[in-house]
Amino acid sequence: MIFKSIRARLLLWIAFLLVCTLGSFGITAYQLHRTNQIHQIDDELQRRLAALCGDLVVGPGGGPPPGDFPSFEHNTNFPPPPSPRSGVNFPGLSQAGTKPSGAGGFSMLNKPIWISTDVLKLFNQLDASGYYFIIWTCEGELRLCSSNAPVVTYSGKISSEAGPQTRMRGDYRESRLQLPIGNQVLVGRSIADDLSEIKKFAFWLAGIGGAILAVSLGGGWLLAGRALQPVEKIGAAASRIAAGNLAERIAVANTENELGRLAGVLNTTFARLETAFAQQRQFTADAAHELRTPIAILISEAQTTLARPRSGEEYHETVEACLETAQQMRRLTESLLELARLDAGRSQPGRDLINAAEIVDRCVDLIRPLATECELQIHCDLAPAQVRANSDLLGQIVTNLLTNAIHHNHPRGEIHVSTRAENNGISITVADTGEGIAAEDLPHIFKRFYRADKSRSRKEGRAGLGLAISEAIVKAHGGAIEVSSQPGSGAVFTVRLPG
Amino acid sequence: MRILIVEDEPRLLHNVAKALREEDYAVDTAADGVDGLAKAEGCEYDAIVLDIMLPQLDGWEVLRRLRKRKPTPVLMLTARDAVKDRVRGLDTGADDYLVKPFDLSELLARLHALIRRSAGQPRPRVELGDVVLDSRARLVTREGQPVALTAREYGILEYLALHRGEVITRTALYEHLFDENDDTLSNLLDVHVFSIRKKLGRDLIATRRGQGYCIE
Repeated sequence: MIFKSIRARLLLWIAFLLVCTLGSFGITAYQLHRTNQIHQIDDELQRRLAALCGDLVVGPGGGPPPGDFPSFEHNTNFPPPPSPRSGVNFPGLSQAGTKPSGAGGFSMLNKPIWISTDVLKLFNQLDASGYYFIIWTCEGELRLCSSNAPVVTYSGKISSEAGPQTRMRGDYRESRLQLPIGNQVLVGRSIADDLSEIKKFAFWLAGIGGAILAVSLGGGWLLAGRALQPVEKIGAAASRIAAGNLAERIAVANTENELGRLAGVLNTTFARLETAFAQQRQFTADAAHELRTPIAILISEAQTTLARPRSGEEYHETVEACLETAQQMRRLTESLLELARLDAGRSQPGRDLINAAEIVDRCVDLIRPLATECELQIHCDLAPAQVRANSDLLGQIVTNLLTNAIHHNHPRGEIHVSTRAENNGISITVADTGEGIAAEDLPHIFKRFYRADKSRSRKEGRAGLGLAISEAIVKAHGGAIEVSSQPGSGAVFTVRLPG
Repeated sequence: MRILIVEDEPRLLHNVAKALREEDYAVDTAADGVDGLAKAEGCEYDAIVLDIMLPQLDGWEVLRRLRKRKPTPVLMLTARDAVKDRVRGLDTGADDYLVKPFDLSELLARLHALIRRSAGQPRPRVELGDVVLDSRARLVTREGQPVALTAREYGILEYLALHRGEVITRTALYEHLFDENDDTLSNLLDVHVFSIRKKLGRDLIATRRGQGYCIE
């Protein structure tokens, strides 16, 4: 459940990365530290081994023995042969002498072995965890060992060619060298303390790593929370809007970051949604209002007639009135449906390449009887104008504009219709010589149910939807409809459609 | 009773006028706000039925201007039924409110009640001695017996009864009983009053010489 939240998942990912980074860093640091420590111990062992072997090989009184001597001087701090060689002889001793300040003389094989005081100083024999040495004979018998040396079993000859060999034996680090004269020398030290120190270092690393992880995750949790807070706000506002409060907006504190911009975009969307809803509500209210009047007529006609016995002629009149009212309602509902269809955006109508001039010409022919009845002259100036449009819908626009021009004209007035091909499209112009449109009405005439002169339109049974429908059709074609008017000298409607 | 109807939808205007005339109202009509206001200010109507959506001058404006000069009862008639519209109508000084589409019987009942209330007679039954007038049933009884009156006679009696105690001039009575298209001679009033007296008793309607008629 919790891993569904972005915050938790983000944090989980950060934690994973941090654990990987800190882990690899910690392990590397641990390894480096451990290697370094062991290396230092090894160096110390080598130094002592070399010093010890130097003493053994050179002997107490003479120069270096003949033959190959393992040359490890070059990589150890091989101390120069102690001089003057004032040694102490420990004849037949299996343990190095307990006099740390003195030097021991021990027999090699059967000869005494001499170890200088300086070399002996390198082995603190009183310290159980200090450096120790063990010397075996070539047969593997213990020849000599320091007093702090643990019990070590001889593990056989090793190659004298390979130089000193280092090994771990339990908690002991030991370095062995096979001398050419047959003796095997071992120098070692207990590294239990070092190991526990390394272990402490590991714990310390883990502790630091854990602390960094905890601080980072805590910070990350807070940061993610703060970063995602706007999302919560946006969600809350959106659900309030969904619950019906369309006026609700998201409070945007910072418009610069991504979420601020998102909130801005959402607010714009909500505003448009609200406007669209308000328009739709207004439209529904207007439609209901327009339908109420004819319904009132139907009811009152029927009730008046039924109130008392009537003559056949009166019944006839009533039925006629009801029929006429019903026809008016039919026209209204058809217009409403037409607008609803256009609104629904299903009006990407089948478009063909047509000549607008032909369409206009046909419409003028159809409307001419009505114009003649109103004593109006229609003048056409139709230039060929090819356009990709739906011929039925285009015809409807032209018919609407012509009908308007007739109804808003003076008797014996004129109507001028023209078509033109323009760059990137066509234009259709319908101009009348009527009373024109008042300046305060001009911005509203494409609004649904808007009537500049209410009485006049109502009498003609027109609801004020013609221009709204025309505009919707033009917009569906990606065009524009404009009107200009000088009150008293008629109005000019221009439809522009893109080619 | 004389009523003015202001309504721009011609069929509705015609029909409501017809229905009211059949109920023996004298009815005048106006199809726009300007005409309606002129008539409302120029005549003594018992009630006005006023549409809101009117050309030239809307119903609100007609009502506002009329209220500056006259308290004639007004019933607003409209297709808008939002509560704020109703409240606005009543606030502006309308006496009642009816939403389209309406029932004719409701319109008639409301008009009737409106006229009665404005005349200070809240109940539909008026007792004038042994004569009882039931304006809801349009029935007149004398000592419990129904008396048949013509529409004109009933109208005169009802008007005088509603304005009981007032002296009603012949002109006022004429104005309230005949609409603008009626050219009945005013001296016919005397004939009707004579007829009422014959049916309901001499003393019911008193004549104030030079002033008019009165029911005490």
